[in-house]
Amino acid sequence: MSAPSSQQVLDALGRIKDPDLGRDVVSLGMIKELDVSPQGKVSFTFELTTPACPVRDRFKSQAEDAVGEIPGVTGVEVRMTANVRPAFMRPKPSEVLPGVKQTIAVASGKGGVGKSTVAVNLAAALRKSGASVGLLDADIYGPSVPVMTGSKVVPQQSNGRLLPIDAHGMKLMSFGHINPGSEPTIYRGPMVGKAIEAMMVQVDWGQLDYLVIDLPPGTGDASLTLAQAVPLTGVAIVCTPQDVATDIAIKALQMFRKLNVTPLGLIENMSWYVCPSCGHRHEIFSHGGAESAAKRLGVPFLGAIPLEEGIREDADSGTPVVISRPESAGAKAFVEIASQVAARTSIQSFRQLPVINVH
Amino acid sequence: MEITWEDGSRSTLSGEQLRWACPCAECRGEAGMAGRLSRVKTLSDAELRIRDVTLVGQYALQIAFESGHATGIYTFSLLRHLVA
Repeated sequence: MSAPSSQQVLDALGRIKDPDLGRDVVSLGMIKELDVSPQGKVSFTFELTTPACPVRDRFKSQAEDAVGEIPGVTGVEVRMTANVRPAFMRPKPSEVLPGVKQTIAVASGKGGVGKSTVAVNLAAALRKSGASVGLLDADIYGPSVPVMTGSKVVPQQSNGRLLPIDAHGMKLMSFGHINPGSEPTIYRGPMVGKAIEAMMVQVDWGQLDYLVIDLPPGTGDASLTLAQAVPLTGVAIVCTPQDVATDIAIKALQMFRKLNVTPLGLIENMSWYVCPSCGHRHEIFSHGGAESAAKRLGVPFLGAIPLEEGIREDADSGTPVVISRPESAGAKAFVEIASQVAARTSIQSFRQLPVINVH
Repeated sequence: MEITWEDGSRSTLSGEQLRWACPCAECRGEAGMAGRLSRVKTLSDAELRIRDVTLVGQYALQIAFESGHATGIYTFSLLRHLVA
């Protein structure tokens, strides 16, 4: 039996649909370097839109099965790789943050729900999957990232620009690095905007797949500056399950909708607590509030994170829990949420912003 | 100025049309005070000619006119309504 043609292989692979992007993987340009040997050995590269792809393993076996069934095929070799695509099919990079492909904001509206913990672990989980990741702490008054990442150092300068701090394989920048110690930053609103802009423009972020931005609470200066300064790929909203948190989270979400920033979905933090002595599961802040709010608002529910002592301990000691205790329920929840966020972000890569021509 | 929207439809807007629709506080008025555009009847050519357009995040355009006026942030939904 003779070897199949390349077209036969592509036809078979074209029946595999990307569940998030809603199109087949061939027309999405995910199949590369296809080679069919005269003996019927087929090899190709399967290029995902994110290394944190939630269906990576499923794609691999679907591809092997689809090609393996073609008559004349004697062997299949699938090389899985990933290449994060820039947001909004931009013809040229954005002027602010030119080397950054995707910017993901983490917001909540309400304070104290664990935004920074989620942002740090989301960034660390994306890094673990193999992506290049930066984390910008946009909370000027209460920067938490330096402590949570054990990076209380002052940034170096090069050619008049600040170099981000390297910790846990991520590039970090926080006002807590720029203004360290216990001195408070006493700023009025417009200064907050300037400080956030400076952390984007005057920091040499280099090439990044993802820049995660940890926003302060509120629907004011910080969020507005950010949404005006950069085309954000999307925003993940964090809340705790009780009404007082979901109500404010909804306000934050609607604010971003008004600014044409896509909500990637809701994350429920402090969702449950397993008592270490009795093993009983307690739902201290209620449960499922974020999921039902997500349903009401028509946005994805990205997942729930338990309340765990380990998450807090590791944040205080400077190592995100996804790195220090990858087997814990909390770490697994963060990794799962990170791949959901990455998948939702990939969808935005294919969205196009209005094109403006001035004559 | 021509805009191609996400759904592929197109809008064509003149500098004059955009200048008279400027949403800024000075032009529209604020806190019960009437804005400039409700007080003047004519605008000079320099005020009607577009000098530059910049994208604001991904929700609006900031339009600068030859006269130097550039405080209006035109949201995409405002721009779409101008056409309809």
